[in-house]
Amino acid sequence: MNFKKYFEKANEAGITSSELTSSTSTSFSFSLFKGELVSYNIDTSRRLSSRGIYEGKMGFGTTENDSSDSADFLINAIKLTASLNESDDEPIIYEGGTSYKKFTLNSKNLKARKTEEKIKICKEIEQKLQNYDSRISDVEVYYSDNYSERILANSFGLNLKETNNYFVISASVVIKDGEEIKSNYDSYFGVNPEEFNIDEFCKNIVEKGLGKLHGESIKAGKYKAVFSRESVSALLNALLSNVSSEQIQKHSSRLEGKLNTKVLSDKLTVYEKPHLRNIFYTYFDDEGVATQDKVIFEKGVLKTYFYNLVTAKKDGVETTGNASRRGNKMGITFGNIIVKNGRLSEEELFKKIKNGVYITDVSGLHAGLDSTSGDFSLQAEGFHVENGVKSKPLTLFTVSGNIFELFNDIIAVGNNSKLLINSTTTPSIAFKNLKISAE
Amino acid sequence: MLNKQLALDVINYASSSGADFVEIFDEDTIRHAYTVENNKVDSSSVSETSGVGLRLLKGTRSVYGSTSDKSRKSLMKLAETLSKSFEGERELSELTSFDNVKIKQIHKRKTPVSAVPVEDIISLLKKASSIISDYDKRIVRSIVGMSITENKIEIFNSNGKHYKDNKEYSRLTMMSVASENGKIETRFDGPGNQGGWDYFAKEIDVEKIARNNAEKVILMLGAKECPSGKMPVVIGNGWGGVIFHEACGHQLEATSVAKGLSVFSNMKGQQIANTCVSAYDDGSLSNEWGSNSVDDEGGIPQKNELIKDGILTGYLVDYFNSRRMNDKPNGVSRRESYKYEPTSRMSNTYIAPGKSTEEEIIQATKLGIYAVSFNGGSVDPSTGDFNFGCSEAYIIKDGKIGKPVRGATLVGNARDILKHIDMVGNNLAFGQGMCGSASGSIPVNVGQPTIRVDEIVVGGRGGSINEF
Repeated sequence: MNFKKYFEKANEAGITSSELTSSTSTSFSFSLFKGELVSYNIDTSRRLSSRGIYEGKMGFGTTENDSSDSADFLINAIKLTASLNESDDEPIIYEGGTSYKKFTLNSKNLKARKTEEKIKICKEIEQKLQNYDSRISDVEVYYSDNYSERILANSFGLNLKETNNYFVISASVVIKDGEEIKSNYDSYFGVNPEEFNIDEFCKNIVEKGLGKLHGESIKAGKYKAVFSRESVSALLNALLSNVSSEQIQKHSSRLEGKLNTKVLSDKLTVYEKPHLRNIFYTYFDDEGVATQDKVIFEKGVLKTYFYNLVTAKKDGVETTGNASRRGNKMGITFGNIIVKNGRLSEEELFKKIKNGVYITDVSGLHAGLDSTSGDFSLQAEGFHVENGVKSKPLTLFTVSGNIFELFNDIIAVGNNSKLLINSTTTPSIAFKNLKISAE
Repeated sequence: MLNKQLALDVINYASSSGADFVEIFDEDTIRHAYTVENNKVDSSSVSETSGVGLRLLKGTRSVYGSTSDKSRKSLMKLAETLSKSFEGERELSELTSFDNVKIKQIHKRKTPVSAVPVEDIISLLKKASSIISDYDKRIVRSIVGMSITENKIEIFNSNGKHYKDNKEYSRLTMMSVASENGKIETRFDGPGNQGGWDYFAKEIDVEKIARNNAEKVILMLGAKECPSGKMPVVIGNGWGGVIFHEACGHQLEATSVAKGLSVFSNMKGQQIANTCVSAYDDGSLSNEWGSNSVDDEGGIPQKNELIKDGILTGYLVDYFNSRRMNDKPNGVSRRESYKYEPTSRMSNTYIAPGKSTEEEIIQATKLGIYAVSFNGGSVDPSTGDFNFGCSEAYIIKDGKIGKPVRGATLVGNARDILKHIDMVGNNLAFGQGMCGSASGSIPVNVGQPTIRVDEIVVGGRGGSINEF
C-alpha cells in the first residue's frame, strides 16, 4: 500500500489525521523427536493497522489482506469505530518532534545460516540430551527464528522503520526413575548463533531435571526464601503492570498516588532500558514517540509511571514512550527491565538466609496471580536450604503471598543477573517471608 | 477465497517430491469488538485476518507453511519451498478436480450477531455495565464487551475433497474491579455461543449475570484469605470443569499421547479414575462454544467417549497423529487460524452427570472448600502436575456452605486426582473459555456437574482450616 496515497484518501473521507503501521514477519521453525523432524513451519505475514481521527474521535482498523480494497476497508473501519467511540480521551496522532536513538540489530550470520545447519545443531542437542543419563526417557528439541519489520507512518509526515531478527532454541527432557516422572525445559535466545554453547545448554537442562528427583515434602509455614532469576522476573513483571498510568488513572493500581514514595524495599532499584542492544531493543513506541531509558524504582522509591501521549496529557506530563497498541486501543507496555545487581552470589544468598527454601520456578501465573491486588498463590518447584546450602528437592507445594509485600521485604539482592526471555534482566533475590502450603 | 484451479495447481505442485498428503486451509475472518467501560463505549474495532496454510505429510513427517499473501505467485513459491523438504518421486497421482463434500450445519443461527444493529449490541453492553457499576460504590470499573468473529474456511486436500464452512462465534465478556482500603478484587464472566443473537437476547439472562458478577466481586473483596493444606474440595458445576480439562483432557490429546509423552499414553483399558467418573468430548453439540460442523482438516466432530466408569476408553485423535497411533481420527483437529498446523484439541469436554444432588455432596462434607469458579489453570502433560486458581470459593463446615475465601489455588497430579473424585452430581453445566496449546488459542467449553475430590492440596494464605 502506498502510505501517502492512503493518508490523502483518508483525509478525503473526513479522517483529519491518521496513522498507518505495517508489520511484516517471516518466521521459520521446526521440532525434532526421536531423531525425526516432526514439524517444519514457515510463515510470512503482513498486517496493516491504522487509526485516525474522525469527527473528533479516534477510530481503528486492522487487516492482513493487502489488496486494492485494503485502504477502503481501513477507512470504513476507522469511521465506524470512531462514530461509536464515547471515550473522553483526547484523540492524538503524534506530530513528531523528538529525536530518535536508532540502531539496527540484525545478524547477518543468522540470516546466512542454512536450514541444514540449524537442523544439524538441533540433532546434536537431541543426541547429547538423550545420552546424558539413562533415566532420560524422552527429548524434544524446538528451533525457531524470526525476521520482522515494523513501519509506522502518519499524515504529519512521520515515517519510522525498525527491523529485528533473532532465534530461539528450546529443549525439554522427561526423566523417569521407577514410578517417578520429572520434566525440565529451557530455552536459549539470541541474535548471534556463534554465541550459543551446546554443552552448557544441555548440561543445564539435564542437571536441573535430575535435581528434581527424589524430593521431600515440606511442612507448611513461613520461610525465608531465595527466588531464582526466573521466579523473580515472573512476579516482578506482574508488579510492574501497576506502574501503568492507564491503571492508575482508572483506579486499578495500588501504586496510585505513590509517586516519589517508598513503596518497595530500599534494596531494590529497577530500570527500563529500551535502548539496550539485545533482541528487545526498540527505538519508537506504537504512537511513534521515541522510547527512553528510565529509573522506575530507585532504592524502593517509585520514580515514574509509564505513559503514552493520551494518559500523559491527562496528567499534564510528558509521555515516557511506553505506548502499545492492543487491538482496538492504545495502551501501555514496558520492556527491557533491569534489576540492579546486589553484591552476593546465589550461594551467598543461601548462606545469608541459612535455613529456608530456594524457589527455582513458579507456574500457573495466569490463574494464581492477580496483578491488580498483588495476591498470588502459585504452584512452585524448589529446594530446601539447610545450614546455608541448597539441599534436597521439594515435592508438590504452593507459595503464596502478595507481590507488593514480598518486594518490600527483601533480605538481599544477588549479583547473578541475566537477560530472560520475558525481556527482564534480574538477579536472584532473597526474601524474608514466604508462605508455603503443602500436604 | 481461493479459486479451485489455483488450489489444484498448488496441491499438484506441492506433491511433486513425494508427499503422501497435501492440504490447503484457506481462511477469511472478520472480527468486530465493542467495549463499554463504566457505561460509555470505550473502544471498538474491526479487524480482518486472511491467509492460507499449506500442509504436506509424508509418513510421520509433516511440513507446514502459511502466508497472508494469497496470490498465485506466493502460494506456488510456498508449495515449492515446502516440497523441497522431501526428497523423492511423486507418489500421489495428479488431481484434476475436487468433490464438494456436503457439510451438515449443526448450528441453528436464526439471527447472526453480525446482522444485529450495532446500537442493539451497545445497548445490551451498557445495560450490563450500568448494573455492575450501580451495584456498589466500591466497584470502580465495569468493563463489558462483545466480540463477534465471522470465520469463513475452505479446505482442499490431495484426496480430492473440498470442504467449506461459515462460522460465527460471539462472546460477551464482563469484568468488574472493586477496591477498598488498598485491597482490589476482580471478577470475570464470559458467556459465549455460536447460536447467534437469540443466545444473548433470549437464552441467557444478561442482567442476571451482570448482577451476579457485581455481587460476587463485592463478596470476594471482603473475603478472608483461603486456608491451606490437604483437604476435601467440592468443585462447582460448569466452569469447575476446568479441572478435568487441565488435569486430564490435555493428556488425552494425541499431540502428546502419540509420542508417548502423556501420563496416559498406552493406558487404554486401564482404570485411571474412580468408577463414578465417565467423561466425554463432544464437538457436535449444536450452537455450543466449542463445537464445529466440520473440523479444521475435514473431519466430522462426534461424541467421543474418553473415560467410562473410571476406565480409559478413548483419546482425541487427529489425522496426522493417527499415523503414529493405532487409532482412527475422530473429528477433533483444530487450529486458531491459517497460521497454525492443526492438531488434536478439545471441544466441549465434560464429566458426565451422576446421581447426587449438589446439596447431598455439600452435606456429606464435614470440613473443606467449595470451589465455585476459577480463573484458569495449567498442566505439564509429561508429569501430569497441574494447578488452578479459584476466583470464588467458600468454606464448608459441618455439611454447610460458610464464609467466602479468596486466593485459593488447587495443585495436584492428574493420575492422583481422578482417583480421588468420590462424588459426582446430577447438575451438568458448561462454561466457556479460550484454550491455548500447540495449534493456538481456540474456543472450548469445559463442563461438569458438581463433584467432590476427597483430598487435594489447597494453597492459600489463611493458615489452617481448623481455625475457620
